[in-house]
Amino acid sequence: MSEAIAEPMALPVKPLEAESFGDLYERTFSRVYAYVGSLLRDRAAAEDVTAQAFERAYRKRRSYRRGKGSADAWLFGIARNAALDELRRRKRHAGLHSEPEDADAAATAHEQAETALRRQVVRAALDQLEPRERELVALKFMGGLSNTEIARVLGLSESNTSTKLHRTITKLREACRDEA
Amino acid sequence: MTKPEDSALIERELAAVDEALASGFADAADHGGPDAYAAHDADERELRALALALAADPPQAAPEFERELGRRVAQAFPRERAKAKRSALRAAALRPSAWLPKRLPKRLAPALGVAAAMVVAVVVAVSLRDGGEESTVKSLSSQRSSKAESTGRATPRDLPAPSERTAAPPPGPAQPGFDPTRRERRIERSARLTLAAPANRLERLGDDVTGIADRYDGFVLSSSLSTGEEPSPGGTFELRVPAGDLRPALRDLARLGTVRSRSQTGEDVTVRYVSLGDQLQGARAERRGLLRRLERAGSASQADALRRRLDISSRRISGLNGQLKALRASTDYARVTVTLEARRGSAGAPAGSGDGIGGALRDALGSLTASVELLVRALGVLLPLGLLATLGWAVARTVRRRHRDAALS
Repeated sequence: MSEAIAEPMALPVKPLEAESFGDLYERTFSRVYAYVGSLLRDRAAAEDVTAQAFERAYRKRRSYRRGKGSADAWLFGIARNAALDELRRRKRHAGLHSEPEDADAAATAHEQAETALRRQVVRAALDQLEPRERELVALKFMGGLSNTEIARVLGLSESNTSTKLHRTITKLREACRDEA
Repeated sequence: MTKPEDSALIERELAAVDEALASGFADAADHGGPDAYAAHDADERELRALALALAADPPQAAPEFERELGRRVAQAFPRERAKAKRSALRAAALRPSAWLPKRLPKRLAPALGVAAAMVVAVVVAVSLRDGGEESTVKSLSSQRSSKAESTGRATPRDLPAPSERTAAPPPGPAQPGFDPTRRERRIERSARLTLAAPANRLERLGDDVTGIADRYDGFVLSSSLSTGEEPSPGGTFELRVPAGDLRPALRDLARLGTVRSRSQTGEDVTVRYVSLGDQLQGARAERRGLLRRLERAGSASQADALRRRLDISSRRISGLNGQLKALRASTDYARVTVTLEARRGSAGAPAGSGDGIGGALRDALGSLTASVELLVRALGVLLPLGLLATLGWAVARTVRRRHRDAALS
């Protein structure tokens, strides 16, 4: 299955070579894992899907075209498809349910109380978002993608993506105020 | 729709988020930015703080997982590589890259695909144009030619009608114009064809017309041809061709010259044919009854009366037989009228492709027209196929995307 990401553009065509794939991995590993982990909220599944995404990307590296956007957006598109496939699989197997992402309790204990409280508030606000909104947040803040790259990953226009992102952040701010 | 003022707000706030993520500070003043940045209002500061809080709490991968995946990336996913190597060896004979030049640019692949599709479309278009008759006609022609050579040129008139030669239609490929499942249909077919050719070719053309009639086991019923110094050279040929061979025969005739006009008619006479058959059957039954009664006649006067009735019955049977035979002949053989005309301004033209440069140009134009026709036909097949394929691909892509996105619902 093709990992379709947004519309093509007439820009120079250059495949992703093996040596630059290593650079891509170094640059994106933690962000891809964070994004996938935010979507799945299951450490084991996040590891499987992240590994799967990089393997798929490696296999398909020759199909990458610069004209279709940045390599990061391309890779996140693959990771997104893998994560959504995993979510669908989980929905089919009703017995399986995701375990919450384990909070780093040891770390929070050492953090200042204000920071810990803020983190709790943000997590509670995130829980109030729709899954699609949470995905936007994950792509922006965990994946560290630009708005253009998010638009590529989701197959939306840039202005539409910006509007949706702004709406989500506004909702999140209000939820944070309510939680606080 | 987003209002302009909303757009400005969205742009400003998203820019603030990006700036906070890039700098890592909730306020520009915190990292010593210019004074302009220090003027963030409380709302914007809150937004920047939220952005930082969201980015500060990402799920972290376990170090051992990160190490393991890093190792696999460094080794180029060894399991996959070995698997790919095995499958590459297996598919080497079938894979185009195995026999295509190694330096063939990848971007040529779509072009090759399009070319292959066009070839398929051209083949389909050509076969559609010829109605798939070519091979059938060729085999029929060759069979008939060899038969004629081995038996000598039998006069077509001496040959019995096709329906009399065999009790049932011969097995094998269906004859054009006939529905094999409806053998009882009787159709009178006729065609008119007007051909134009250089005046000095008319005589040879006449021979070719006769040859085609012979080739299809038909015959020339009448013909007239005037050539040479006649003021209006031309001629008419009245042919009878087995109805099943009408289409290939017409196609062969049309190739002899330039077709000026062509028409074809058909009339279903099945009802008349069946009715005549029934009448004949009834008349024969009546005759048999009269004969039986004649055997048992008690007196000479009674026998005379029966004989008179038998005469009448026999005449009726004979008449019906004649009508039935005529009808059978007119449906077994199609009437073909070929009119030959001299092409204007070509009386002195040499036989062959035409008259010098003019003829060559006409031939070239003809070839060009034929090529364009072929191209249009090919496009007629290719475009709908391409549209369907594109539509199918788009639908499949949308459905797949929606299925995936549904996981987030």
